Amino acid sequence: MTRIDADPRELFLAESTRTRTRHERFPMTGARAQGVVPSTERFASIRDIRVFAGGVVLRMAAGLLLACSSLASAQQKPKRPPTKPDSMGGMPGMRMPAAKSDSSKKTKSKAAAHDTMSMDMPHDMPMPVPMPKGMPMIPGLVGLTPPVTSFLPGSGVDPKRLPLATTSRITRLKNGDTLDLTAQLVRRTIKGHTFVMYAFNGQVPGPLIRVPQNATITVRFHNRIDLPSTVHWHGVRLDNRFDGVPGLTQDSVRAGGDFVYTVHFPDAGIYWYHPHVREDIEQAMGLYGNVLVDSPEHDYYAPANREQMLVLDDLLINADTLIPFGKEAPDFALMGRVGNVLTVNGEPRYTLRAKRGEVVRFFITNVSSSRTYNLSFGGAPTKVVAGDVSRFEREERVPSVVLAPAERYVVDVRFESSGKYAVVNAIQAINHYAGEFSPEVDTLGAVTVDATPAAPDYAKQFATLRSNDAVARDIERFRPFFDKPPDKTLTLTVATNALPLATVQFMNVDTAYYAPVEWVDGMPDMNWLSTSKQVRWILRDEHGKENMDIDWHAQQGSVVKLRIFNDPKSFHPMQHPIHLHGQRMLVVSRDGVPTKNLVWKDTAIIPVGSTVDLLIDASNPGDWMLHCHIAEHLGAGMMTVLHVDGAGGGGKSR
Amino acid sequence: MNLARSAILALAATLLAAASAGPFDIPLFNTPKAPTAQGNARLVFAQSPFGVAVTADGRASYDVQIDASGLPDPGTLGSYTSYVAWAATTDLAHWARLGVVKNGHSVVGHAELNKFLLVVTAEPSETTSVHGGPTVLHGTSPSGWLQSFLSHPLFRGIPP
Repeated sequence: MTRIDADPRELFLAESTRTRTRHERFPMTGARAQGVVPSTERFASIRDIRVFAGGVVLRMAAGLLLACSSLASAQQKPKRPPTKPDSMGGMPGMRMPAAKSDSSKKTKSKAAAHDTMSMDMPHDMPMPVPMPKGMPMIPGLVGLTPPVTSFLPGSGVDPKRLPLATTSRITRLKNGDTLDLTAQLVRRTIKGHTFVMYAFNGQVPGPLIRVPQNATITVRFHNRIDLPSTVHWHGVRLDNRFDGVPGLTQDSVRAGGDFVYTVHFPDAGIYWYHPHVREDIEQAMGLYGNVLVDSPEHDYYAPANREQMLVLDDLLINADTLIPFGKEAPDFALMGRVGNVLTVNGEPRYTLRAKRGEVVRFFITNVSSSRTYNLSFGGAPTKVVAGDVSRFEREERVPSVVLAPAERYVVDVRFESSGKYAVVNAIQAINHYAGEFSPEVDTLGAVTVDATPAAPDYAKQFATLRSNDAVARDIERFRPFFDKPPDKTLTLTVATNALPLATVQFMNVDTAYYAPVEWVDGMPDMNWLSTSKQVRWILRDEHGKENMDIDWHAQQGSVVKLRIFNDPKSFHPMQHPIHLHGQRMLVVSRDGVPTKNLVWKDTAIIPVGSTVDLLIDASNPGDWMLHCHIAEHLGAGMMTVLHVDGAGGGGKSR
Repeated sequence: MNLARSAILALAATLLAAASAGPFDIPLFNTPKAPTAQGNARLVFAQSPFGVAVTADGRASYDVQIDASGLPDPGTLGSYTSYVAWAATTDLAHWARLGVVKNGHSVVGHAELNKFLLVVTAEPSETTSVHGGPTVLHGTSPSGWLQSFLSHPLFRGIPP
């Protein structure tokens, strides 16, 4: 078996050639291509039409009201950016509990004092965001720009003086070891164009930290980028002080500053690390890396011939420039930034050579700001083995792997015959212009399998779907709580203010149908123009409290049932990958249907219109964020805190 | 106090669940063949390890649940013994059998189409694989609400 540490190149094998193909987006054929679309073809009966018409009238009336209120403040001309930008040291939209307010203020002023950004690009550029093919920009949006100052990393820095980013390398650590982790500016060349971006230790993805289960390591973090930052250890049930959330567990680390993290890894599996300050910029520009925690059990997973990391990301590039970010507030606040250049392990092309019959274990992480993937391997049989924080109760054959932002899955794939297997993201986009679904396939790379038979041959082991009794036994302890009433209920919704009139008008009509999952950004012009100044994403509890105003406590050792409902009737319903820090949770049911094959998670996708029950093992004391992992939704306020009161602290369960 | 709070929470949760009827619901309409029939279908994501169930090419995979009432004895409509649900493409070119429908709650099978019509017909056998009998209930998948903006004022004047 090729272990990950045997040859670093084996793990992040990214070659320079690129043959990515993309089907034409939104092809229109036949009558639709001619613009001849019978307006009633969708309806089964006149009654259907009446129902539809009623819905549209109601929505239009609501839209008119909204539009009137928006008119007063909607910017019909480009505005100049504010002359005094806000601090970027905290998370936009985040208001801290009273007890923490002093420290929060301190953080803010510190961050402002060290804010070294100076890229104030005028926002008089034409619409820079590429539109999907066949999708025109709404005339009412032409000439508008988001009400923020543009920002890109490394303003005024000569890219030639920056180190060229390298691919990830393995850093194998044992209990008690120390790692220096530096966030820095780097030069990256993508599709022939050179950009100034970020990297941990000069690597994209950052170093793969490989540790044994139950190890504790020290990480000396050095912030050498041009923004305040922190490191969040995603999915790891660690000491709350080292969770990396500015204003909650630590002050943000100013540019040029340092912070020492002590990280304990109690669970085997695949984890990742990233900043928890302006993820929409820092994570998107390359600050992410994996942690692979090895179980002491040699047969923790079934045998495989090879292990590979797949870190999925997307970048938004127009011709030869990165699309700038909002300096004071995230832009793309409605849907999050959905890139048009998909990368695997930091490169736009992934290649792997394998032998016939080889079983390859892929550890897959979605580090994209907003994109949900549907990944498959050219028809090669695939079985899912593990998720965020554990193995599944039972291995399961799957046609593809669906990953929302921040989710991880471990899958085994057997390449039975020689040939080329395309690694693709295949989804059904929506052409809003034509009102149709359209298949879209992005080829992320390929696995080339030669005729030499793999040795050893793991065909028999691959054909067996293992049951993981240890996982089932562990979960069994929580089964008595599956049917209890929810302890907490959150509704996911959104509030908007002063969006462009055309956006308001479009959204009120467009949401006659809301897809459970939006796989791509079909209207990037509207999305780009929305910032967290105008869009507030909301977690609302059963008392009507919202986001950071929610007072949510649980006793350490308790089992908390959280019910989340994604309101389809909001202004812009969208799926939300909800992430809980520092704990593990089970998705026990969706829309009232119990989950049959459970796995411990830290991030769960909540489709539009769905009601999802999560059972939280509140084992880890401290103040833990729960938030949407779409970076721009987090930046637009979609977060709260679960206070897990320590067993000895006389905490209360509310 | 705790009991009262739990009761309130349970009530709120129930109301929330009821309010969630939205993107996955299909009202079913009857036909003159069965004017007393009423029904509603709900699409629930099929079991999947990933939270949302989709096919390899990205189409949603739903379990179709049907609640029906007022369905007459199929024998009163002709030589029929049962009711069967079908998912048909919107041009009616392709029909996929979902399963048997009875008065009450039925989980009838998987639908993996982007847009489809849900049709319940009377059939001579529960196991029939080809639709042939009269339609008694029908509806359109929620994705049928997808709008075409080719002629919308927002886009007027833009060539397709």
